[in-house]
Amino acid sequence: MSSRKIVITSGKGGVGKTTTTANLGAALAKRGKHVILIDADIGLRNLDLVLGLEKRIVFDLVEVAEGRCQLRQALIKDKRFESLSILPAAQTREKDAINEEQFASIVERAAEAADYVLIDCPAGIETGFRNAVAGASEAIVVTTPEVSAIRDADRVVGKLNDRGKPIRLIVNRLRQEMVRSGDMLSVEDVCEILAVELVGIVPDDEEVIDTTNRGEPIVLDENSRLRPIYDKIVRRLEGEIVPFTNFDQPGFFGRLIDALKAG
Amino acid sequence: MALLRGKGLGLELVFAGRELGEAFEELEARLAERPGFYRGTSALVNFGNDPPSSDVIVRLQSLLNEAGIELRALTGASEIESLARECGLAYEPGAVHAAPELARRRALRPRGDIRLSESARSLVADFAGARADIADRRRRGEASVPQLELTEQPEPPAPERPRATPLHVVEAPPPTLYHTGTLRGGQTLHHPGNVVVVGDVNPGAEIVASGDVLVFGRLAGVAHAGAQGDETARVFALQLNPTQLRIATFIAADGENAPRVRSLPEAALVRDGGIAIVPFDQIDQLEERGIS
Amino acid sequence: MLDPVILSAQPEQNTKSMGESAPERAKPLGRAIVVTSGKGGVGKTTTTANLGTALAQRGASVALVDADVGLRNLDIVLGLESRVKHHLLDVLENRATLDEALVADKHSEKLFLLAAAQSREKDDVDTEKMKALILALRERFDYVLIDCPAGIELGFKNAVAGAEEAIVVCTPEVSAVRDVDRVVGLLGNRFRPQLVINRLRPLLVKKGKMLSVDDVNAILRLPLLGVIADEPEIIVTTNKGEPLALRKDAPTGAAYHAIAARVAGEDVPAPMPVTKESFFDKLGALFGGKKA
Repeated sequence: MSSRKIVITSGKGGVGKTTTTANLGAALAKRGKHVILIDADIGLRNLDLVLGLEKRIVFDLVEVAEGRCQLRQALIKDKRFESLSILPAAQTREKDAINEEQFASIVERAAEAADYVLIDCPAGIETGFRNAVAGASEAIVVTTPEVSAIRDADRVVGKLNDRGKPIRLIVNRLRQEMVRSGDMLSVEDVCEILAVELVGIVPDDEEVIDTTNRGEPIVLDENSRLRPIYDKIVRRLEGEIVPFTNFDQPGFFGRLIDALKAG
Repeated sequence: MALLRGKGLGLELVFAGRELGEAFEELEARLAERPGFYRGTSALVNFGNDPPSSDVIVRLQSLLNEAGIELRALTGASEIESLARECGLAYEPGAVHAAPELARRRALRPRGDIRLSESARSLVADFAGARADIADRRRRGEASVPQLELTEQPEPPAPERPRATPLHVVEAPPPTLYHTGTLRGGQTLHHPGNVVVVGDVNPGAEIVASGDVLVFGRLAGVAHAGAQGDETARVFALQLNPTQLRIATFIAADGENAPRVRSLPEAALVRDGGIAIVPFDQIDQLEERGIS
Repeated sequence: MLDPVILSAQPEQNTKSMGESAPERAKPLGRAIVVTSGKGGVGKTTTTANLGTALAQRGASVALVDADVGLRNLDIVLGLESRVKHHLLDVLENRATLDEALVADKHSEKLFLLAAAQSREKDDVDTEKMKALILALRERFDYVLIDCPAGIELGFKNAVAGAEEAIVVCTPEVSAVRDVDRVVGLLGNRFRPQLVINRLRPLLVKKGKMLSVDDVNAILRLPLLGVIADEPEIIVTTNKGEPLALRKDAPTGAAYHAIAARVAGEDVPAPMPVTKESFFDKLGALFGGKKA
């Protein structure tokens, strides 16, 4: 069975690439897949933080690339899951410490040991982005329903199209009430503009900040409403046809008004 | 066994069984004491069972060239042959020296799969002076945790090297590096010797020292003391809250949960085969009491 | 060097000696401030637009430069995207003059924008030319604010190239603080960085679910310009191209004005968001459920 190498990118920073990578990885691992996450953001590494693994870093991506250690020595196994490991980026180096060939080769080696390799891409479209994309055979573009984010995502989609990689889209941090009031673009609008296959809609959730600060992927929280969302994304990635959650239900306020009206 | 000796029409340099940094030190000293004496000779270098990296050969060549010596060939175990070829040198199969030395070194190698990063290993070449510093401290009876009776891991005490070198190598211990100001994420301080930071060390910052590490502030990054292998090295901080601590070949990190609130300056040191943290005012008691 | 026709003042053509001041150089050079963070999505562009607006509303002449080549956004935030005829690279590559490229803001007189190029790469920017461009702008404007791209690669280096001061934007999240710390380390002391904390949610801080201002500045240790609360309004105004700083009497607008005053050197207290529970939070508490 060939493993899948997916880069998670966006162009715009801060839309949720790292959180998405961590949670997708966790959700896949929970389904029994062997997952390796690679942080390609050299110099600004965050994937380890978001998973709470920063204290266990001994070796990093650049040291693997420079042959100072083996890949398996650098991988950190997340003890909360059966089969989830991460390869952290280097913090004290710069993005040019590694080139596309080296990165692609590491991804290949990781792919030999996993069903899924997810690559957390840095923001922007410079060297870091090019390296991260070099290793992947598919891409997931993450965007928020805001004009600046979509514009950047569009630029990235263009670059990915140039490289012929299949692209899927996750719309992150959706605030349905803002869509309803016309202050945020709807998912349909976003898909229309970007013209890319939609694979997930993730609503905004204030718990995410706290869980990333604490290093606990939100899918570990059974009560989180985001957990079933990530599960659905994973099922779609695996090829299932899963209907999208309808966020267009009346929100709390709507329900209150209805309740009042009902008397 | 002497480092440098005559062999046939040329010289033999015996690096086998020697610590690389020290060997270079001694060689430099020997060449310096009689400049020009060896000019025009050729040298055969014996690496025993341990082929070094090719940049060691480059360094050796340049050192020898300065003294007018031609590096002719390498000798030692068969692994040396490919290295010689790689460097364009001849290879002479030779008797392997220093087998007992190697066995001793192998026995001292750290167990487990945690290894030093290259940044720590690369300090080894500069540490000749640091060794003198450490040995000096031992001699003065300073700052050392008493040896513990470890039943599960019988580690032979590192023998004091026979001082064949002191005639030539009189190296002052390296100065302690003082850094004033906060060390920010992504910044590193690597130094053979002790390191003192007057300021904070933020998460993402890294200190690698062959000696002790002292932080007059909050240590939140990664500190590696005794990076060259000195297990008596220590890490001190006004607020010891590191992402990770390393002393010699030991690595430790806090448990998963929220960091303890530190109100006292603390020290980290090797004890019982791991890294222990003690409030710094209790270090004296440790030493008085012996093992605790 | 750039063609004399293009820039309003050309260093080579100034034949006066250093000591004399030419009439056009009578006023001091404007301040060049880069707005940066390392981490993306913390609000650099929003801060640049709002601070620029507030400064202009106070009567200063301000040029905003979007250094995010390939991923330009400053024009959107100001609502000027349809008015951009020429961009940064057109000027740097002599295809347009500064006058042709600078776009006048819709709302604030004395506020001008130099947009980035959307379909080019950051590699295309020549650092020396960038420095010359910023200098030319400083000769015409009281303030030159440079919107820096995310990351610490070439785009960042070019954005920083012409600046003399820095404003660092951070959100109260662990990953942001780490990245910002890295950038502050890279900037060094030369830029005298000052801090804006963005997107604070006082209620979450109170509940212990978000870092507090003190948590953030315990690591960053920077002079604080001010703290901006997270508001849905910000997204709305960004999408619509109307910076919140235009509403001087609304809390966020007032906060940006206070920050502008502090940047200008006035002794005004740093704006802090007030912890007031919104109607919804109270309602949510009543009904015991999560806010919709």
